[in-house]
Amino acid sequence: MRIYGLEMLRGLTITLGHFVTSYTAGIRRTFRNRKRGAFRQHPSEKGVFTVQYPEERLKAPERFRVLPVLIFDGKEGEKWKTETERCTACGICAKVCPPQCIWIVQGKDPTTGKPVAKASEFFIDVDVCMNCGFCAEYCPFDAIKMDHTIELGGGERDKSHLFDINRLHVSTEYHAKIHPTDWAQEQARKKADADKKAAAAAAVKKAPEVPPA
Amino acid sequence: MSDPKILFRPSEEEILEQEVKRHILITPWDGLLKMLDPVYNWGRRNSLWPLQFGLACCAIEMICTAASRFDIARFGAELFRASPRQADLMIVSGTVTKKMVPMIVRLYNQMPEPKYLISMGACASAGGPFKEGYNVVSGIDKFLPVDVYIPGCPPTPQALLHALITLQEKIDQQSIKTARWYGKPESEEMPVPLLGPDLVDLRRSEEIRKKCAVGEPAAKPAQLPAMIPAPVGSGTLVEASELLKTVRRLQLQPDSALDYLTNLTCTDYQDCYEVVYHFYSTKKGGAPTALKVRTPKTNPRVPSLTALFPGADLQEREVWDLFGVRFDGHPNLKRVLMWEGFEGHPMRKDYLEPYYEAPAKLFPSRWKEGHHQRAEERARFGDNVNYPPGFDPAQWVGPKESFKPSTDTLVVNLGPQHPSTHGVFRMQVRVDGERIMALEPVMGYMHRNHEKIAERNTWLMIFPYTDRLDYICSMGNNFGYAIAVEKLIGVKPPERAEYIRVIMAELTRIVNHFWATGFLLNDLGAFFTPALYAIEERELILDLFEMASGSRMMCNYMRFGGVAADLPEEFLPLCSSLVNDRLPKAIEQIDHYLTHNEILVNRCRNVGVLPRDAAIAYSAAGPVLRGSGVEYDVRKAEPYSIYGRFDFKVPTFPEGDVYARYRVRIAEMWESLKILKQALKELPGGEILAGKKLWNIRVPAGESYGRVENPKGELGYYIVSDGTDHPYRYHVRAPSFINLTALEQMCKGHLIADVVAILGSIDIVLGETDR
Repeated sequence: MRIYGLEMLRGLTITLGHFVTSYTAGIRRTFRNRKRGAFRQHPSEKGVFTVQYPEERLKAPERFRVLPVLIFDGKEGEKWKTETERCTACGICAKVCPPQCIWIVQGKDPTTGKPVAKASEFFIDVDVCMNCGFCAEYCPFDAIKMDHTIELGGGERDKSHLFDINRLHVSTEYHAKIHPTDWAQEQARKKADADKKAAAAAAVKKAPEVPPA
Repeated sequence: MSDPKILFRPSEEEILEQEVKRHILITPWDGLLKMLDPVYNWGRRNSLWPLQFGLACCAIEMICTAASRFDIARFGAELFRASPRQADLMIVSGTVTKKMVPMIVRLYNQMPEPKYLISMGACASAGGPFKEGYNVVSGIDKFLPVDVYIPGCPPTPQALLHALITLQEKIDQQSIKTARWYGKPESEEMPVPLLGPDLVDLRRSEEIRKKCAVGEPAAKPAQLPAMIPAPVGSGTLVEASELLKTVRRLQLQPDSALDYLTNLTCTDYQDCYEVVYHFYSTKKGGAPTALKVRTPKTNPRVPSLTALFPGADLQEREVWDLFGVRFDGHPNLKRVLMWEGFEGHPMRKDYLEPYYEAPAKLFPSRWKEGHHQRAEERARFGDNVNYPPGFDPAQWVGPKESFKPSTDTLVVNLGPQHPSTHGVFRMQVRVDGERIMALEPVMGYMHRNHEKIAERNTWLMIFPYTDRLDYICSMGNNFGYAIAVEKLIGVKPPERAEYIRVIMAELTRIVNHFWATGFLLNDLGAFFTPALYAIEERELILDLFEMASGSRMMCNYMRFGGVAADLPEEFLPLCSSLVNDRLPKAIEQIDHYLTHNEILVNRCRNVGVLPRDAAIAYSAAGPVLRGSGVEYDVRKAEPYSIYGRFDFKVPTFPEGDVYARYRVRIAEMWESLKILKQALKELPGGEILAGKKLWNIRVPAGESYGRVENPKGELGYYIVSDGTDHPYRYHVRAPSFINLTALEQMCKGHLIADVVAILGSIDIVLGETDR
């Protein structure tokens, strides 16, 4: 005699197993996460798999990329200035941008009218950007980086989805916070360069002293 | 003197009114409604039922939002309705193409008020990275009112949840009094755009007629695409008249029969159109043999190969559609990606799109004097459309679809908006009762001009676009493209990079097969439970991708001669925990749960049978080919990268039915785990990129065909370089597209419900099918 429905019961035991572990293993984790804020499950964790957004959220990995931002040397809350902006308007980001969403106007010296290595206007069309990260990857001046902000939904796009130079600039402090490893590497590299320069300068300084002796 | 106030003594009624106001609380009608608003809004905001409707890559993230990790049910929006009649939220998730937009407007019109619309992702909002394409609509808001826009490409599930919360806040602000669905007159339907020689917005027909009547040509672009003469000495050149004979001879060669037509495409040269065929032998393996046929620019004609290789069917139609090369003897030569009636053959070099700016990127308007200007402002019609001179929308008569009413058979359309078509795919089915008599796949609803855009891109820029082909397997797509270009440059990635590439490609295979299995079960009626468990494992693998490359889906991780960045520190422990502990259990569970399940077995066995010979003739690839008993896997047949070093088997099942294809996928996951374990153990240290990181790479002139075994089948890239920084011709051999050629063969004689299962077992992704 054939008994029908056994396979269905077998399937149901699997769902039941998931259901039970969500209580036994899941509840403890949920309470722990309330304090943790941003987190990411380890593959060995069992039970509830849900991230209770917006109370909890997934921790963004450092390389996470959404939209590009421009970097200026300064603290959070400050406003960027021509002296602190890192961009030199070299245009490499625009040249590697696959959907061509970057628009740069090179700055001009107000007195002489000659072009200077600063951007006077910088636009990113958010509705064209494909979040590929090439601009950040190929920028030789560490001036453009990928941001982590995902909460960008809004009711309008004509004005708010064209990011201009003011909207794009964020401080190095903010950048260091979301990209700690990248920032440490950059600092180490700069320090090495500075040391090399100092050593070279010292060598040059020493050099003229030699002939009189 | 009398008091002046007495002169203005109020009437008795007025006094009464004042008294009443002073002593009795009266809430005016407005106030009452205002008190009702919170209750009313609360009800609506917490029961938004989205339409089960996905367009492109963003739809995958939308599905993930509904799955267990992000669980949109917590917001009362878990009931994705397959019918617009029951839905009140439309999430336009992905690229809106011209061919698809009439359906979207129709669906929106069928939704009852109150209805809301979220435009998810850059493409839906404004065309996104595909904006310049000839078949892409510059934003759904050109046709439908949008409530919330989400930037991002694609927005993560959390971004979608944020948008949902934003929409709920917007609903909170609404009032019964001003709600348009209670006002009079009743809300009007949005006009459905017309597919003429290009997309016609009927609200603008008068303007279009006037502009076309003037006949004034669009401002001529400063620079037109350059053409090169057809190169000499690459591949075997065959006369068109000799083609069939030559192919027949090769097909019947005794020891190394070229029995499999893998790729068929065309290149537009200055002096001719060159149709390229790539063949190989399923018995011998090895590199493909290329045959070429040249045909003059005026009235190009080539004999059709469909009689010898039925697998040429859709590919020849694609060449006709995009290049205008006629194939004599093709039984059904009509457009496949664009619609019948569309003006022009867009892949020809002299075809310029409405947003055409320059032959290659960087566009000069972007840098140094890059004052922002939207593409719409430059275009002649203020939109991504172009019409022939003298065009009048009112007079337009499109090519008629033949419709012969009949009493014994019935024509049913499945799709392009249908929950089981895995995207915007349409099947035209002629049924006798419930039996399938004939089936015709109709595609192009997500044709977003990948190849045309790529021919303007620099070599590097194509990488992120390849992510968006088969958006479930972006790492595999990167891999194939890198291999095709590396063949021409002659660069070899360092050891570590090779291992990382293999690890990523095999993780991708597991991701894809989990997804495919979950959704096959969905199609069989096991609604969402198996898919939920499958997506859970996929999420954990996506975490790894996100950690290494920065994005869950659009990895853009590989570069010519290596990978973009080294693995982060925490990657390896997590990856080996997954590979050694978690994934084996998960696959075991799926296997245990499903493989011998009586319902699954009954629904899948002997359904959609594709015999061995037919599978080869129809150019099927991947699990479809191996499910028909052909042991052909590019990783073994022509080992690329370092696949030669690993110990793994190519699982095959001879039955050729849905069940066999399902079993192949499960078995392949086990083999992938085997490869992963070996690769993780042997992963060496060292460099991850050969040479310097260059953004302006130039590729020596020549052509190459690079292929990889993607989870869905053989993914090939045919590229022709003219020695500049962008490809002269770039073509993708898409397994999802070519596997569909055999769909009719598999479905004939089965029931409608089986068609859904058969399509699920082929495992298509529309981003790749339509490109």
